[in-house]
Amino acid sequence: MPQTLSTREANLFRTVIRHYEDKQYKRGLKAAEQILKKNPKHGDTMSMKALILNAQGKTEEAFGLAKDALTIDMKSYICWHVYGILYRTNKNFDEAIKAYKFALKLEPDSHQIQRDLAVLQVQMRDYPGYIQSRLVMLKARPQLRQNWTALAIAYHLDGNLQQAENILSTYEKSVTAAPLRTDFENSEALLYKNSIIAEMGDFERALEHLEAECKACLDRLAVMELRARYLAELGRKEDAAKAYRALLDRNSEHPDYYKALVDALGIAADDETALKAVYDEYAAKNPRCDAAKRLPLDFLSGDGFRAAAKAYLTLMFDKGVPSTFANLKHLYSDNFKKETLPILAEEYLEEHRGNSSTNGDSSKGEGAALYFLGQHYNYFMSRDLSKATEYVEKAIELDPKNVDFHMTKARIFKHQGEIAKAAEAMDRARSLDTRDRYINSKAAKYQLRNDENEKALATMGLFTRAETVGGPLVDLTDMQCIWFLTEDGEAWQRRGDIGLALKRYHTIFNIFDIWQEDQFDFHSFSLRKGQIRAYIDLVRWEDQLRGHPFYFRAALDAVSLYLSMHDKPQNGANGVEGSHTNGDDAAAEKKKAAKKARKEAQKAEREAAEKAAKQDPNKGGAQKSKDGEEVKKKDEDPNGVKLAATTDPLGDAMKFLLHLLQFSPKNIEGQIAGFEVYIRRNKYLPALRCLKASLALDKDHPKVSEQATRLRKALEGAVDSLAPKTKEVIESELATVPGA
Amino acid sequence: MAEDRQPADIVEGATSGDVEDEVQPTAKSAEDRKAAAALSKLDARGDDEGASREVDQEAVKNAMSSLGGGAAKKDVKTVKVDAADVKLLVDELELSKPKATDLLKAHDGDAVKAMKAYLQPNF
Repeated sequence: MPQTLSTREANLFRTVIRHYEDKQYKRGLKAAEQILKKNPKHGDTMSMKALILNAQGKTEEAFGLAKDALTIDMKSYICWHVYGILYRTNKNFDEAIKAYKFALKLEPDSHQIQRDLAVLQVQMRDYPGYIQSRLVMLKARPQLRQNWTALAIAYHLDGNLQQAENILSTYEKSVTAAPLRTDFENSEALLYKNSIIAEMGDFERALEHLEAECKACLDRLAVMELRARYLAELGRKEDAAKAYRALLDRNSEHPDYYKALVDALGIAADDETALKAVYDEYAAKNPRCDAAKRLPLDFLSGDGFRAAAKAYLTLMFDKGVPSTFANLKHLYSDNFKKETLPILAEEYLEEHRGNSSTNGDSSKGEGAALYFLGQHYNYFMSRDLSKATEYVEKAIELDPKNVDFHMTKARIFKHQGEIAKAAEAMDRARSLDTRDRYINSKAAKYQLRNDENEKALATMGLFTRAETVGGPLVDLTDMQCIWFLTEDGEAWQRRGDIGLALKRYHTIFNIFDIWQEDQFDFHSFSLRKGQIRAYIDLVRWEDQLRGHPFYFRAALDAVSLYLSMHDKPQNGANGVEGSHTNGDDAAAEKKKAAKKARKEAQKAEREAAEKAAKQDPNKGGAQKSKDGEEVKKKDEDPNGVKLAATTDPLGDAMKFLLHLLQFSPKNIEGQIAGFEVYIRRNKYLPALRCLKASLALDKDHPKVSEQATRLRKALEGAVDSLAPKTKEVIESELATVPGA
Repeated sequence: MAEDRQPADIVEGATSGDVEDEVQPTAKSAEDRKAAAALSKLDARGDDEGASREVDQEAVKNAMSSLGGGAAKKDVKTVKVDAADVKLLVDELELSKPKATDLLKAHDGDAVKAMKAYLQPNF
């Protein structure tokens, strides 16, 4: 039973809630204590206190208190709601949903609980549940447009497009006054409805709706693009061409428009003259347009290519565009183009030797051509490193202070396998322009490739926020600088420091977790702002989040590290173990180096902490006046010692592996790693699944037949201990794998 | 002369008055951020406002009644599933219990069929 309080205490209870909402936790706690002094068994107050404790980071204490509150007052919806919130903030979403549902049963009319539940359901992708919640919310307040839109979204995400459209139409019909032209929510809702119609594949109706309803929509570009697309889909080529021309007049740099225009004009793919004419028209109209000049190089051939490429290169070299090579290397899959481009560059050099028209700016003209040739011979499809060196040296001679030239020189060293020299050269390039963040990052990366983690961190530190407590690494982690964390982890792995390597990989894993969580706020925010199309994009992107190459690389690194830990269990608990050691001497040396490095890092950390402590008086004071919040959680294991001391490396690897197999099933490296983990865990069916996937992806991969043999061998010893059904499946399926 | 290609009215680095050009001033201090937060709250209509503008209450009511009790339940095949088979799938394939149950149901409760289907590459 909800317990009643005296008027004074009831008022006090309200202030507790207000303080909590204003994040004035200390004051809230004080008020809660005051109530509890008189009513020590007041469940609601205990729950609120638990909530505040949780916000202050005292999770365990909070859970204990909330549980006590529940046992005292089982029938209080506040207690259940708080319990749900506690679960939610600690990411146990399933339990949170259960608690919310119970709270709702006790208090079916609470908007707040219903809203919290709905947000959780969509976060967990429980679409049927989300539809139910949204329906209830709509019934409670049908006059709010966003409640209608939200229900449509729920149906849309659940795959029921028809119903989604119905809901939106129903609302539109119930509006009497015409919405203002400046009504952004209305404009977006119309386009959202249009996108649903198109998603059903009914372009005829989508076009009709677009032309009838969306003419005045504020996102004019979207309207134009959709219209052009629908016309093209419907085969109304003349109108589509016109629509794409209108788009090109707005933005002549968009390659998709050109492609769609050419399609609509019905020009054959091998009619180079006609194709070129289309692009030339826009090149003439927009003299500064790059796309109209660059794109024809993709389809031209023979003399046509030669002439166009010469004109393009001349223009780029004259201007001194640094990205010229990067912009052209896509052509190298064509042998003729690969051979023609350097010849043209040489010709340009001949013609411009000693030409002073570049006004002394050596990155233009001759320098640009030399730079291009240097990159050409450094590129993997046209590599000739001694020639590359020659051209880059010439370029440097021309302009000894050019960052780009020195950067390419470092790259050449890298490709020669001279990693130390490459790092040095890149750092020299960095010193030429210390305010250039790009070259700074490059230099740090090359230092990491050379296993100089400390130096690299110092280099990165030149561009991180100086006032961050804990130094550059903490800032880079806060800024979610994944490339650095990955390279740093790989370098530590090479150096044999398993702990720090694992630490970095886990940090990356957590960053992806954060990205997953970040969408939480958008479930209500996007609705409030009315930006539904962008929201749908976001939800779909989040569903594929861990398919990102950044995740794949770090996760694969982690899995292979865990595998090597399993194969070579270490004795020392400090996690110093070489994964690629050759010979005991090298191992011992690496061990020593790693130990030394660790000591240095610890020293640096201590210094940073001391420095932070010295600064703290001011900061602490300022914070205290804000009721002492934002206590950052301290990292209990900064060097990954605990991670490295794991007794179950294969189990830990699963955390990374499952995402790899789920989101990047087409990457054979992931499947191969999956097999390695499963076979060590004697999980034959999943191992076989990975093997079959590898086989389907690339049956000639050397690992495939090797793994097949190993699986057969492993099964020979174990087949009798398997369940009869499993045995049946394995035997019939393994027969289809060659070599097994 | 390369520079001649450039029309006279175009200045390098000039903005075109596009929407993207209206760069939001970044908050410099905590004070600024607070102000920005307050500002963003201004145009955000809270969920709790009873905004009944221009909506015909009658029509809404009618529309609501036509919605009915909610979504029609999807037809879920009622397949009897052996608990031992579920356990087998959970152990062998490392699936969660609901997932294993779904997989079995999709294959008429036949564990061998379900496991075979699981083994096939799904891309």
